[in-house]
Amino acid sequence: MDIVYTQPLKELLQVSTYFKEQIVVLVTNEKDEKVAKQNSFIPCYLISDNTPESEIQKLSSKKKAVLGGSIKANELAVRLKADYLLQPSNEKQFFDLGLAQKLHDNNITVVLMFEELLKANSFERHQYWKNYIELVRYCKMKQAKFVVASGTKDPLLLRPPKVRESLAVLLGLPQGKAKEYLEEELK
Amino acid sequence: MKIEKVKKAIVPLSKRERKRYILFEILNAEVAEKDFYFGFWIDLLSFFGSKGLAEINPKIVLFKGNKAIVKCRRGKEIDLIAGTAFIQKIRNKKIIINPLLTSGTIKTLKEYAKIE
Repeated sequence: MDIVYTQPLKELLQVSTYFKEQIVVLVTNEKDEKVAKQNSFIPCYLISDNTPESEIQKLSSKKKAVLGGSIKANELAVRLKADYLLQPSNEKQFFDLGLAQKLHDNNITVVLMFEELLKANSFERHQYWKNYIELVRYCKMKQAKFVVASGTKDPLLLRPPKVRESLAVLLGLPQGKAKEYLEEELK
Repeated sequence: MKIEKVKKAIVPLSKRERKRYILFEILNAEVAEKDFYFGFWIDLLSFFGSKGLAEINPKIVLFKGNKAIVKCRRGKEIDLIAGTAFIQKIRNKKIIINPLLTSGTIKTLKEYAKIE
């Protein structure tokens, strides 16, 4: 399973056939959702802490991903029982054992969107790794799911599952778990 | 002064360092062999640093078409595969490096990739 942002789906379809895995496309409106479904991708609504409550209520039966990074966003993911918590930061200790436990209880997957790492310069990259090593340690202790996704708007920045699995292992996840979480089939 | 050639002591097979070979496939663009050597090395070096890369000890053993066989130290395959995620462009051509198979012998990889 890989997660990407909305992008030219024709090119995405072309590149994704190499890797033969399910792709979740983050959408923000019904039109994008329809197009994703037509191309046999799995649509997932992207929610942030600025999304109005009325819109969130409409998405009760759909797949949801919350863009993390603040206490508010992390709590929103738990409250909504979202499927994914994207890119949670731990610079100011927003992610702790308590949150990891809640994520595990609600079956929420923590996702590192890999493209962010590519954009970063070497100093920022070091900050990312520091954050994520800590985050994976918490997830491992409370058995919350953690995956590395391509998280890109450009199909040519998709990364094969084996590579993303290896990145998760480098971050500290046991190899068996890293593989199991990535290979989980979505309905 | 006469320089005398000293024969290198041959390390017995059982005491040699163990290695693994990984078969990579280059997707999206055709890259020249020389460019691949350079691009591969630069991105791995910036990610692992000098010490990290020395520990992995990668060597491009074979490059044919869009496939490459890279040798590395045993136990460091995962690091090498993870490092290839950071290679996005070679000579301004966007590429994806896809690891296909890991093995202890080149023969298996050659058979898998149908390289003669």
